[in-house]
Amino acid sequence: MSASDPTLGAVVADDELRDRLRRFADALIPAAHGMPAAGDVGVADGQLDKVLAVRPDLAEPLARAVADVDPADHLTSLARLRDRDREAHDALLLVVVGGYYIDPDVRRRIGYDGQQPVEVRPEIIPNYVEEGLIEPLLARGPVYRAVDDIERR
Amino acid sequence: MKADVLIVGAGASGGVVARRLAAAGFDVVCLEQGGWHDLDEFPAPRPEFELMARKQWAHSPNDRALPEDYPLNEDDSDIATLMFNGVGGSLILYAGDWSRLHPSDFCVRSQDGIADDWPISYEDLRPYYEQTDVEFGAAGLGGDPAYPAPFEPPYPPLPIGAGALRVARAHTRLGWHWWPGTNSVLSVNAGGRRACAQWGTCLWGCPEGAKASTDHTHWPQAIRDGAKLITGARVSRVLVGPGGLATGAQYVTEDGAEHVQEADVVIMAANAIGTARLLLLSAGPGHADGLCNASGLVGRRLMVHPFANVMGLFDEQLRTWQGHIGSKIVSYEFYETDERRDFVRGAKWSLAPTGGPINAALPTRAGGSTWGPDHHLHMRSYLGRGVSWGIFGEDLPDPENRVTLDAELTDSSGIPAPKITYRVGDNSRRCLDFQIERAKESLLEAGAYAVEEERLMRHSGWHLIGTAMMGTDPERSVVDGYGRAHEIENLYIVDGSVFPTSGGVNPTSTIAAFAARTADHLIATRNGQRVPA
Ligand SMILES: Cc1cc2nc3c(=O)[nH]c(=O)nc-3n(C[C@H](O)[C@H](O)[C@H](O)COP(=O)(O)OP(=O)(O)OC[C@H]3O[C@@H](n4cnc5c(N)ncnc54)[C@H](O)[C@@H]3O)c2cc1C
Ligand code: SF4
Repeated sequence: MSASDPTLGAVVADDELRDRLRRFADALIPAAHGMPAAGDVGVADGQLDKVLAVRPDLAEPLARAVADVDPADHLTSLARLRDRDREAHDALLLVVVGGYYIDPDVRRRIGYDGQQPVEVRPEIIPNYVEEGLIEPLLARGPVYRAVDDIERR
Repeated sequence: MKADVLIVGAGASGGVVARRLAAAGFDVVCLEQGGWHDLDEFPAPRPEFELMARKQWAHSPNDRALPEDYPLNEDDSDIATLMFNGVGGSLILYAGDWSRLHPSDFCVRSQDGIADDWPISYEDLRPYYEQTDVEFGAAGLGGDPAYPAPFEPPYPPLPIGAGALRVARAHTRLGWHWWPGTNSVLSVNAGGRRACAQWGTCLWGCPEGAKASTDHTHWPQAIRDGAKLITGARVSRVLVGPGGLATGAQYVTEDGAEHVQEADVVIMAANAIGTARLLLLSAGPGHADGLCNASGLVGRRLMVHPFANVMGLFDEQLRTWQGHIGSKIVSYEFYETDERRDFVRGAKWSLAPTGGPINAALPTRAGGSTWGPDHHLHMRSYLGRGVSWGIFGEDLPDPENRVTLDAELTDSSGIPAPKITYRVGDNSRRCLDFQIERAKESLLEAGAYAVEEERLMRHSGWHLIGTAMMGTDPERSVVDGYGRAHEIENLYIVDGSVFPTSGGVNPTSTIAAFAARTADHLIATRNGQRVPA
């Protein structure tokens, strides 16, 4: 599916779909324990647009999912959707979770700063060497099975 | 123009043979159905990384469904087979866990009375392991007692991280083997490539070029030495002349046009599914069941290493989304056959990080019911706090596990797609059951407050092995110990198809060493090689 796909356009413009998605997402990830609700983070608004920009293929199964699930009974309807239409189920969860956890404020709150480069310093002696964890392994001797004496068939 | 050598597939094995043969003055042409990928295409630095990892850079060609991919019918397979199609092949996505087979892996029949021996030994491959370790930039600690000496990776080991250190201490207390993992990931800048920057995204393309893949490590030099790599070229058939020798291959380009590339020698390097598929597609007069298939073994004995994950959760933030993925540390404590157990052979354990927040939040990790207010508690206890033993068990060959041609499914060029039939064997199940219990003990000893297991993961068919086995008897094998087809003496196979048994380690170090040995053999026997008129 390309970015100009009609299904994608329809999903993006569908206020009712966004409304239903927001209510369902809030049931999955509500405000609690110092974390915001999914709807407040924008998983049915700006975050949805960001997710669909990199994953336009999710638009169509998402529309199927949102039409099917009931925010008032999220666990039962999720389980039912999983059995009936696995692709729609997976798309719905990925949109909610994806939209939530690519939000910079959510990331900051959970202590995740994204995949970051960290310099490798091979000149630093590893802790396992300093702690003497290698010596006992060497003292134990080979742990492979020698096959020199085996007559090959 | 006719080439000295035609290689089908520009992945791991194709790159290794191309570089050697081009350096020795062979006129090399390679046909590759995919294209080149620049480092900045890989999604690692983007916030949406985990979303793109599940589609554009997904491991299953069925999920990616790019035009250069071919689909797979896996309705009758317990495990989804995984690969990448492009220059560098599946190395674009591999984790870089760079393990040699062990001496006993080459003689399973002699030791355990099952399966088959290889016609070659660890000692035959050892010089090539040493050379390809250098070519791929293997980083590790020398002296691992799980291998005969010498075992000296050329570059220093990568950092193992706080989680693996806990497990290493636990194994010391238990008296169990562990060792810093060897990875084909540079720990220092070398050969014009940068050292690993610990992005933790190796399985979706390495943005530093630190993880070895032949598009960086082999093809540039091969091309400088005159090799011609034609991308977007999908081979549909290997051609055989009236004299019974291979004469080249027919291929289709992206515009749908058909072409023929002639060659004196044809080398198959399309991986154990792609090569078997092509040999079967090349059926014709005199070889109605496919090329090189008098033994009936082409496509059979597919092995994929049934896999389990055992994860330990710690009450300390270990930032385990960071760092190379291949192996932090390994354990070969339960690798060799032990007659007291109810299975033969064993498994390798590789300790890996556990990914970012989207991975942590989805039901595969969180279970189906961690929604509602508890979702936040789950994330707090999970993200960055888990390390995972990835366990590959030896996968014994079964002729019913196989690649065939699907009657209906085709790729984007209209060429029949493969059908995979694969069932996990009883020995593998018993082996994994045992290993999972031991891995739990390992993690609990390391201080994990909870352990979770993922038994027989479906999307774990990373290792494609065994569909054109090597051996000495033409009635019971497809190629000889150099990968030369018994039936067509100018056709060679250098990918994982040729393995008679799977061993219990990641195969690519051995695939590369075998391909290097075959290339040297071709160079040494150049004058005696019979070629088509
Ligand atoms: C996600 C993932 C993780 C992995 N992790 C590890 C690891 O940590 N350690 C390890 O040892 N191994 C790992 N592997 C396996 C490793 O990638 C393979 O063993 C290795 O790449 C196999 O090399 P090959 O040359 O046989 O085939 P490939 O590298 O798969 O290359 C085959 C090439 O042939 C081309 N081809 C196929 N058919 C045709 C055709 N008809 N026409 C033209 N071209 C064709 C394909 O496009 C492809 O580029 C992993 C694999 C995956 C997918
Ligand atoms: S961890 Fe290292 S090898 Fe893996 S993607 Fe990052 S730089 Fe590349």
